[in-house]
Amino acid sequence: MSGFLVRRILQMLLALLGVSIVVFALMHLVPGDPVRVALGTRFDQDLYDALRERVGLDKPLIQQYFSWLGSAITGDLGVSFRNGQPVTTLIMERLPATITLALAALFIALVVALPAGIISAVRSGTGLDYTVSAASQVGISMPDFWAGVMYILLFSLTLGWLPSSGFAPFGDGIVEWARHLILPALTIGLISGSIITRFVRSAVLEALNQDYVLTARAKGLSEWQVVRRHVLPNAWIPIVTVVGLQLGFLLGGVVVTEVIFAWPGLGRLALTAVKDRDFTVLQGAVLYIAFMFLAINLIVDIIYARLDPRVRVS
Amino acid sequence: MSDHLDDRLAAKPVSRTRETLQTLMANKLAVAGLIALTILVFVGIFGETIAPYGINEIDIPNRLTGPSGTHWFGTDDLGRDVFSRVIVAARVSLQVGFIAVGFALVVGVPIGLVAGYYRGGIDSFLMRMMDVLFSFPAILLAIAILAVLGPGVGNAMIAIGLVYTPIFARITRGSVLVVSEEVYVRAARSIGAGNRRIIARHILPNVMAPIIVQTTLSLAFAILSEAALSFLGLGVQPPNPAWGRMLAEGRNFFQQAPWMGIFPGLAILVTVMAFNFVGDGLRDALDPKQKSVIESRGQSV
Amino acid sequence: MTAPVLQVRDLQVRFGTKRGVANVVNGISYDLHAGETLAIVGESGSGKSVSVLALMGLLPQPPAAVAGSVLYHGDELLGLSPKEWRGIRGRGTAMIFQDPMTSLNPVRTVGYQLTEPMALHLGLKGDDARQRAIELLDLVGIPSPEARIDDYPHQLSGGMRQRVMIAMGLACDPDVLIADEATTALDVTTQAQITELVDELQERVGMAVIWITHDLGVVASIADRVHVMYGGRFMEQAGVDALYATPRHPYTEGLLGSLPMPGADRPERLVTIPGLPPDPVAMPAGCPFAPRCGYSDGDRCVGTVPAMESVGAGHDSACHYPLGVVNG
Repeated sequence: MSGFLVRRILQMLLALLGVSIVVFALMHLVPGDPVRVALGTRFDQDLYDALRERVGLDKPLIQQYFSWLGSAITGDLGVSFRNGQPVTTLIMERLPATITLALAALFIALVVALPAGIISAVRSGTGLDYTVSAASQVGISMPDFWAGVMYILLFSLTLGWLPSSGFAPFGDGIVEWARHLILPALTIGLISGSIITRFVRSAVLEALNQDYVLTARAKGLSEWQVVRRHVLPNAWIPIVTVVGLQLGFLLGGVVVTEVIFAWPGLGRLALTAVKDRDFTVLQGAVLYIAFMFLAINLIVDIIYARLDPRVRVS
Repeated sequence: MSDHLDDRLAAKPVSRTRETLQTLMANKLAVAGLIALTILVFVGIFGETIAPYGINEIDIPNRLTGPSGTHWFGTDDLGRDVFSRVIVAARVSLQVGFIAVGFALVVGVPIGLVAGYYRGGIDSFLMRMMDVLFSFPAILLAIAILAVLGPGVGNAMIAIGLVYTPIFARITRGSVLVVSEEVYVRAARSIGAGNRRIIARHILPNVMAPIIVQTTLSLAFAILSEAALSFLGLGVQPPNPAWGRMLAEGRNFFQQAPWMGIFPGLAILVTVMAFNFVGDGLRDALDPKQKSVIESRGQSV
Repeated sequence: MTAPVLQVRDLQVRFGTKRGVANVVNGISYDLHAGETLAIVGESGSGKSVSVLALMGLLPQPPAAVAGSVLYHGDELLGLSPKEWRGIRGRGTAMIFQDPMTSLNPVRTVGYQLTEPMALHLGLKGDDARQRAIELLDLVGIPSPEARIDDYPHQLSGGMRQRVMIAMGLACDPDVLIADEATTALDVTTQAQITELVDELQERVGMAVIWITHDLGVVASIADRVHVMYGGRFMEQAGVDALYATPRHPYTEGLLGSLPMPGADRPERLVTIPGLPPDPVAMPAGCPFAPRCGYSDGDRCVGTVPAMESVGAGHDSACHYPLGVVNG
């Protein structure tokens, strides 16, 4: 177990190093001089040189990379070209909204996907199964920006039940917080839920077809006992993987949903940085999101090992 | 002489083609998907001819009129016919889908073949590289790439293609690892067939099934990604119509003219569903054991 | 003689398939007494496994349809509610399956899987159940059972796992133990150990055993009676010695001919039976074996199903022209 853990952490660090190289390289391929762009019409040679020196652009690329990486490790991702704010601060400001939305969406996804997927597998081939499969197929194919816009049309503009945009921090009261959260969480949660449903269904179905299920039935267990004690413990293993991946995506900021609902999350921060050519912010945000994604993957692998004695006990 | 033996050892996936088609045709959803795709491709090719109005035919007096006999899907804020624009936009969606996935195939499959066949250091190196690409959420990576290349439909194709490359590399590698252990590959090796020959004649034909399935499913998600990028203003540029763009433009008039957004959105939904149905059908027919990686990659956004 | 534990009468199993109705078991009857070992021998596809799954109520209906009668201590099993079936399974009749590598749940410990039926049927829980599980593991010959009980299946060898399966089958002292190809997946040495173990346990516990196999060689040493099954019917049934010494059915003769037997009065060359077993969707109208049978008359054999008739003491054959018997 500990050997496995060490190996996985090393792998993650290696991937992270690769990610940092890709991010750094990408940002230095950005056409146009970012400092010149940042200065805009107020161009002044002295200011320009000073700014270049301050962000280290006058040094060789390799040196720039290592100094950037060195600072990044200590949590310093540089300052925004646009407003001079530390990138780390900008990211941290966006985190509450992103985490709130991610967890709410995942909650909706699981509430839908677990029962739907399990029932659909246990009752496979029935009308119920076809209904669930068809619904999840629609969900997977659904453009989130369209779903979000439709929800706004129905629940905000027509019925007037819920606000169409914005984020209310928890401090503003739970009702306001929830009212703002419902539509974006539903938009992304139902799509995630459709993906997870399909995985749950196929994982449960695969476990149901194993020989040990017949053994369990031959003991005299009821069908529900068989599912609960023998099928699900095996099905969790692949399910955890896909749920973890989904959480990874959600925590990376769901760009389009955030744009539609004017949600102040990481995705919109990255998109705005692209439009503003604020490359330190984009660089920092992308690195941070990739880091989070890898960290979730690592956690998933650890849970995976906990669930599967074949990995755990070696 | 060894050539003959080598040929006889080669598995013949071709003989399975008819069986695959039969299984596919028995799947009602897959057939529905195929019919929808046929219509889509037809519309994609002949869009301008079919469209009742020009895509940029501005008609201010009739702006924001609802669906009617003259304008099936209504008109937009400039009085342009939404139906014509939806029809013509099919082409760019399909183009981006096919070219982006084609890019991912051309880059990803050889990487997977080499990694899976030669293993060892080259395998570790290539797959770690793929892992790095895989560590970014798809849309974020596409956005970052577009930040470098600049917005536009051609760059969107490259960005989406790069995003989907690791999937093909992984799927191919996984299948190659399995196939390399098969008796006919070991037999071919034992009679001295060269590596290239083994890869081309024995390995590639036998790893095609998962690749075909993945291609179809990836097309669905590539089209979804293009729509998302165009929605964000990073894909197709005005005044050319694209479904994602039309939706974004429609948002501003949503209360007065919901049809501006509803119909392009439906077009995306139907197209993506059609590819998914066909992909699922193909998977059941070709490769029932395969777990599609595209799903674990998550949605396009 | 005491009343049989299990009385099977005219058991039939059909499956609805895309190609049509598959007649997999076509009316088999037998009695099983306490302490007896009955072997059902046949090729794969003969319906032998399906016939015992029907006894356990383990066939999903639909697509399966089961008819006939199965009396367990005089009570009819077919037509029981799912709940009533669960009271029999694992308690009255237990089953061991072919592949011990896949028949145990990989994410549950041996102890969990072993004590599960005890809690269900005997109300035995906690330390009591654990104690009994350790005793059972000891009984089936697993060394240091106190340690092994907390192992996961992947930590055990194939033979060990099959011993665990047997222990699981014995957990609630069943009257009937069904071993479905229980040694097929094991190597020859382990096969012998497992058959001996079942034989020995049977003597100690006094249960009846139904041994399902395609291998006549396996049952020779342990069975009391043998039923030879083909095309969903019994072809021949006899005490094990009589069957081996004087087979009265051409199919049995064919099976024995394909079996290497040192010192027996058999042709030296191993013979195989030409042709394939019948398609259950298109069963022959007459004797199912007629299309492959060297003795077929091409008339009565293909037109009429032969009845099971006595050809000696406790020896029956379902053949119009039983071997070595001179009559019509």
